Amino acid sequence: MGALAIKNVTKRFGDTHILKGIDIHIDAGQFLILVGPSGCGKSTLMNIIAGLEAPTSGEVQIGERVVNDVAPKDRDIAMVFQSYALYPTMNVRQNIAFGMETRGVPRKEQEETITRVSKMLQIDHLLDRKPGQLSGGQRQRVAMGRALARNPTLFLFDEPLSNLDAKLRVEMRTEIKQLHHRLKTTIVYVTHDQIEAMTLGDRIAVMKDGVIQQFGSPEEIYERPANLFVAGFIGSPSMNFIDCHLAEQGGDVGISLQSEGGVRFVPLLDGRRFADRLGQKVILGVRPEQIEVAEEGEPALECKVHLTEPTGPDTMIFTQINGKEVIARVHPRAAGRPGDSMRLKLDVRKVVLFDPQTEARLN
Amino acid sequence: MHDQNKLWRIALYGVLLYAAVYYLLPLYVMVTTSVKSMDEIRAGNLIALPMSITFDAWTKAWATACTGVDCNGLSGYFWNSVKMVIPAVLISTSLGALNGYVLSKWRFKGSELTFALILFGVFIPFQVVLLPMAQTLGWFGLARSVAGLIFVHVVFGIASTTLFFRNYYVGIPDELIKAARLDGAGFWRIFFKVVLPMSTPIVMVVLIWQFTQIWNDFLFGVVFSSGDSQPITVGLNNLANTSTSVKEYNVDMAAAIIAALPTIVVYVLAGKYFVRGLTAGAVKG
Amino acid sequence: MTQFNGPAQYGFAERWLPRLVLAPSFLLTLVFVYGFIAWNGYLSFTASRLLPNYEWVGLAQYETLFANERAWVAVKNLFIFGGLFIGGGMAMGILLAVFLDQKIRGEGVLRTLYLYPMALSFIVTGTAWKWMLNPGLGLEKLVHDWGFTSFTFDWLVNPDMSIYTVVIAGIWQSSGFVMALFLAGLRGIDDSIIKAAQIDGASLPRIYWRIVLPALRPVFFSTLMILAHIAIKSFDLVMALTGGGPGFSSDVPATFMYASAFTRGQMGVGAASAMMMLATVAAIVVPYLYSELRGSRNA
Repeated sequence: MGALAIKNVTKRFGDTHILKGIDIHIDAGQFLILVGPSGCGKSTLMNIIAGLEAPTSGEVQIGERVVNDVAPKDRDIAMVFQSYALYPTMNVRQNIAFGMETRGVPRKEQEETITRVSKMLQIDHLLDRKPGQLSGGQRQRVAMGRALARNPTLFLFDEPLSNLDAKLRVEMRTEIKQLHHRLKTTIVYVTHDQIEAMTLGDRIAVMKDGVIQQFGSPEEIYERPANLFVAGFIGSPSMNFIDCHLAEQGGDVGISLQSEGGVRFVPLLDGRRFADRLGQKVILGVRPEQIEVAEEGEPALECKVHLTEPTGPDTMIFTQINGKEVIARVHPRAAGRPGDSMRLKLDVRKVVLFDPQTEARLN
Repeated sequence: MHDQNKLWRIALYGVLLYAAVYYLLPLYVMVTTSVKSMDEIRAGNLIALPMSITFDAWTKAWATACTGVDCNGLSGYFWNSVKMVIPAVLISTSLGALNGYVLSKWRFKGSELTFALILFGVFIPFQVVLLPMAQTLGWFGLARSVAGLIFVHVVFGIASTTLFFRNYYVGIPDELIKAARLDGAGFWRIFFKVVLPMSTPIVMVVLIWQFTQIWNDFLFGVVFSSGDSQPITVGLNNLANTSTSVKEYNVDMAAAIIAALPTIVVYVLAGKYFVRGLTAGAVKG
Repeated sequence: MTQFNGPAQYGFAERWLPRLVLAPSFLLTLVFVYGFIAWNGYLSFTASRLLPNYEWVGLAQYETLFANERAWVAVKNLFIFGGLFIGGGMAMGILLAVFLDQKIRGEGVLRTLYLYPMALSFIVTGTAWKWMLNPGLGLEKLVHDWGFTSFTFDWLVNPDMSIYTVVIAGIWQSSGFVMALFLAGLRGIDDSIIKAAQIDGASLPRIYWRIVLPALRPVFFSTLMILAHIAIKSFDLVMALTGGGPGFSSDVPATFMYASAFTRGQMGVGAASAMMMLATVAAIVVPYLYSELRGSRNA
């Protein structure tokens, strides 16, 4: 069953186009992530789904119903805001109850809901406090409690973790994921943090300049990024982009890479597909973990280590290929020291190629 | 170095205390003069402490001093001001709160222009509306009445009360309004249940600001009222400028204190809000 | 702008309530501010004297106004009063604010004392200063009692000096206000800037002169604007202190307008002078408002 459908939605103020034809469909129970840099239109899109802003054109469908002319309160949604938006003059209990009071829910039922929700989120000991007396994490829970009390068909999260410190953010991320598993409700979640996007989402829409750059599962987005922007935005450290030319050698189509140890031809898988582009410039995209330490006797690039960044489980090696700085993620024991030379190879099954003009993926 | 620093501190405090005396002196002179007899005033000097304290000047200023033809003191004027200031303050503050709420949280096409139009009203010299207003009040039968004064103060108070509330409400996060809308609350419920409970500081600021402005107004009072509808400032001015044969400075000072007392009391009790009102908007840097 | 940047609105109530709530104030402003300005402008082109008379006389009232010696005295007085009032109030207010900013014990009390005159009516201030400045029993007598019998201080009754008494009382009333504005501005300045300057070895006066006060430029301009505005509108203080006298030696535009329109039966001249006041205020305020509104839109 479709839970949310956004059909060709646009939004503009005067000459500023904020959203340029957005299409998204998700099924009930899915966790949709809208991710992108600030100003990409993701929050506007969220507000349009909630009904807090009106689209310039296009259609929003929640469940089986077109909701363009339905007021936010009648859309059967609940929202958790970036600033939490707790009513400062009401205590936690009143904050959670406010929506139910407005809708005329019987008092007894209100009490039950408050008890259930506050137990679930472990805020039952905070019910008589005002938001000003709560820590950031507690406020976050209250905001979620207020949304849960609504028991909606669609949850909207607008960058809910961005005001928390790093440790709490990771904890709350896990809790939100657990909550989703438990409640099986549909969630739309806006974030600018690609790690949140990857860890939480079933479906990810990567946005930039009011356009969805790619819409797919986390794996698709990570393994087969649609273009340079998506490839660079998702993943940390970022994907390495290396300028190179397509060449032919011994019947194989591949690229030549130059490192401190000399030039080396690397044949591509399915290289013949690019036979018509021979001699042309392409951008090779290779993630840090796709650069590996070569075994003894394997063909490899001799690379000089410029700098190392140990992170604990892995060590980042900074070197240079085709005149560009490149990062490789290797096991700490295999890592050389600055000044050392290392023998590295690319995982050619996973590398991607981009057209330098259109920035779209080629393979 | 240390001595120089100490000298500097002494000079600093010296200047500040000297300034305090400068600001306080008129108040001191007013109070002491008001409890002296005219004989003592003539015999002594401006800053001498009173030798004997008498409240005759106060009773005279309140009940029997001449303010032109009548000699009933300031009491009538005082109550006129009270009758004028309470409704005028309440109405202009309420309108300002609602306007500010709409202009910050329920903007619509044209609301910014409306705000700019209203805002300009803060700055106009009121001389430019005196003549048409006098005529209009006459047509509505409000000329020379307390009701007319209330109306004038409400109309020309809207600009500043709206500005105060709008600037304050702009600072309330829009997300709060969005959350309330998702919770099913409408225009009025959001105002009364969410926004108004958060408005205590600005309500205090505006109430005090309007009270001070309207109580202290002289221009509208002297132009739009006469006889038994005149406010206290007009009464005081009449009293102090009535050309009787002998000038009774003790009565003048008692009258001035009576006219100043309500705003002084407010200043002492809620000075924090008074200062906040004065500096609001002016300090952005 | 084809699209409006604001919340989406649903149903009759949400669409119309905000407009409905704003409507009374909008209409009142439209009629009683803009309508009346137009009406007053119209009056200034008519032959109105004691009563409105809508016979069109063109610029005749303005000619009368500009030919009137008393009007020019009022303009001259406005410049004297405005200049000294703004300059004196500014200097005194900034000095007190900077001094109060030196971690002074009892700062709260001092601040309260400096600012209380602002709570008073100008009529009260005028009445009080009128008593203190009167040549018979006031300051002059005090100084005589101290032994300086040749001292004379008759500004209040001296046509050449009477406007300066208004300056004295005006500064007394308003300098505390300037102090409050600048003190609030000073408190808004990032401490680390001052600390950085101290580490660079700058002396305290130098820090204030080169770093702190330049950072308060916006406060300076707002204050200037407000004081100029008070000066142009000032009416009560003159009425209470000198009544525009002796003669009309301490008249200012506001008292001139009042006298013409309401006591001397020259309504047309009064209307014309009110228009001139409006033009003066607008010349100061409109550029200020323009920059303020533009600034807030960018913020």
